[in-house]
Amino acid sequence: MRIFHRLIWFAVAAVAALCLGYIATERGEPINSLWLVVAAVCTYLIGYRFYAGFIAAKVMMLDDLRATPAERLRNGHDFEPTNKWILFGHHFAAIAGPGPLVGPTLAAQFGYLPGTLWIIIGCVLGGAVQDFIILFCSMRRDGKSLGAMAREEIGKIGGFTALLTVLLIMIILLAVVALVVVNALKDSPWGTFTIAASMPVALFMGLYLRYWRPGKVLECSAIGFVLVLASIFGGQWVSQSAQLAPIFTLSGIALTAAVILYGFFASALPVWLLLAPRDYLSTFVKLGVVMMLAAGILAVRPQLELPAFTRFVDGNGPIFAGKIFPFCFITIACGAISGFHALISSGTTPKMIAREKNAWPVGYGSMLLESFVAIMALIAACSLQPGVFFAVNSPAGIVGSTADAAVATVSSWGYPVTAAQMSSLAADVGEKSLFYRTGGAPSLALGMAHIFAGTGGGRAILGFWYHFAIMFEALFILTVIDAGTRVGRFMLQDLLGQVYKPLGRTSWMPGVIGTSAVIVASWGYFLYQGVIDPLGGINSLWPLFGIANQLLAAIALCVATTILIKMHGAKYMWITCTPLAWLLIVTFTAGYQKLFSDLPRIGFLAQAEMMQNALDAGKIAAANIASQQTQIFNAKLDAVVTGVFMILVATVLADSIRVWIGILSGTREKRVSETPFVMTRLQAEEL
Amino acid sequence: MKRAWALFVGLLRELSDQNAYERHLASHGVTHSGAEWRRFSEERLRAKYARAKCC
Repeated sequence: MRIFHRLIWFAVAAVAALCLGYIATERGEPINSLWLVVAAVCTYLIGYRFYAGFIAAKVMMLDDLRATPAERLRNGHDFEPTNKWILFGHHFAAIAGPGPLVGPTLAAQFGYLPGTLWIIIGCVLGGAVQDFIILFCSMRRDGKSLGAMAREEIGKIGGFTALLTVLLIMIILLAVVALVVVNALKDSPWGTFTIAASMPVALFMGLYLRYWRPGKVLECSAIGFVLVLASIFGGQWVSQSAQLAPIFTLSGIALTAAVILYGFFASALPVWLLLAPRDYLSTFVKLGVVMMLAAGILAVRPQLELPAFTRFVDGNGPIFAGKIFPFCFITIACGAISGFHALISSGTTPKMIAREKNAWPVGYGSMLLESFVAIMALIAACSLQPGVFFAVNSPAGIVGSTADAAVATVSSWGYPVTAAQMSSLAADVGEKSLFYRTGGAPSLALGMAHIFAGTGGGRAILGFWYHFAIMFEALFILTVIDAGTRVGRFMLQDLLGQVYKPLGRTSWMPGVIGTSAVIVASWGYFLYQGVIDPLGGINSLWPLFGIANQLLAAIALCVATTILIKMHGAKYMWITCTPLAWLLIVTFTAGYQKLFSDLPRIGFLAQAEMMQNALDAGKIAAANIASQQTQIFNAKLDAVVTGVFMILVATVLADSIRVWIGILSGTREKRVSETPFVMTRLQAEEL
Repeated sequence: MKRAWALFVGLLRELSDQNAYERHLASHGVTHSGAEWRRFSEERLRAKYARAKCC
């Protein structure tokens, strides 16, 4: 039996190696997406069984006889022992956001190979390890948060810096995901109506749940889902109506104002009225679409039309500027490793783990699934014709402001596309135009629509699937925006409450309104900056978000390394130090380039200088001077934000290294602050 | 198959907070009512949305 098992695992490893080898070496002909799926799944299985198994047994020494916080502190609310597969789904639903969908789609600019390799390898050796270890650490510390662990294990500076970093990252995150929605919905009456209709649907659900059928969340979400589906058909009707279509045809600026207003009201209104019902709905839609996409890819098995490498490995990509190293890694971000996951792994999940060994599938396994979502997004994007992919994603500032200019530029790159082809595709999905939709969401929606339509219905229902995919992306991006704004508001109220007590009270309306306005204005400014950016905004904001997210992961890995050193000395510190070192190299290189590169499309300071020179030389028309000055300020502001991120993380790193050296040299006490061992009394039937 | 379905339904109920509500009723020794749901929901949602959503 033992030999049989070994043979099976050897076969899985051989298939993984074969598929990875094939996709890494095949050039010329388009390859089938199944190669990517099989390579990913087999590598995940090996990583899960052997690497995570090694960490669980030798490093964490997970012990099912040890009572978890869910058992010891059981209160029926936060602390509750939960079945491991239910908790797996719960944790996955919490970590899955728009990042693993949008990031890989944008990184497809380099071709399918760099993104695929990083998503698989980065997850198995970095992202899943981070999630698993932080979950373990929090579980052994009564479910403490990342900030609390940073404060306890590293010191007060580390704890405060981690908190500040989270607040700043959230502001950039909210701006960039809002930009993705704005770019997807601008001049799209169908999409705009569908999303606008989801607001009254959410309000109806909120009232239904509170007054008409209290507690019937599943029933209410099913009704909400039917109404949202109906709004997709309604959107088609609106887009064809001569009277209504102009009302829902909004420019980028108008949509920006709408999203900012939405963020403000969603943050200030009672949570049960809008935020919670929308969140329930978006969670179910998200899980459903992920399963549908997996089934669709297996059924259709699309060819990857984008090559393994595009010409933009040279750093001159139209979507964002910069070479594969370091920009592919910070662009993919959450699909391989995400700092935000450390917040979830030290939030609700550790308080629900029934047995210690459940942390293995929940922590490591959920991240593997998230990585697989990223692979599916990459497949959907790469199944588009390269010419179409670049025509959809390139900003007017790069390809030209007319359809003819855009297709000529894209074709000149070696990715042929015609205006007629783009026009026909736009008509198929019920849009006037698909040009200049930078941000990843529309091209991902196109890829998903082709896959879904490929399972039946064909071109006739392409429009429905495209808008279904847009609805799915926008629905949970808006949930991230309203929940994020609210959390930012709480953080700010906490901070300001130290100065003037009433500001800290969440029941004091002037404080609520004022702090909501400050948070919304902060991310709203970056959003506006992205919308007016002639290079599409994604070029500056997504790398900023990627750098910030990966730096948060670096903080989490600093905490994890400190704890591993306290547990085992230097013996196992390589497990977290390897991904940490890689993240630091990648993010500090990217940060340095975004600050100091001589190329204006990469370096914020070079961009500001170039625009200032043009202004000084009188090359800017009088009508555009104010806008030019704003863009100069924006470039400098982005530079400052990048610098602040790097300084914050360098502070945490320096503080951590000080602690590590102290422990390893014996000058500092090696005290593991785990809760003491208590024998479990949990019975199997209680799960 | 039956077990997989039970897990699926269990997951949906956990995600929809319906399991948490049942635990709340049991731990407080009360029965379901609109007022009780609102009390539970407010406490639950306050804690839930004090944490960031993942990107």
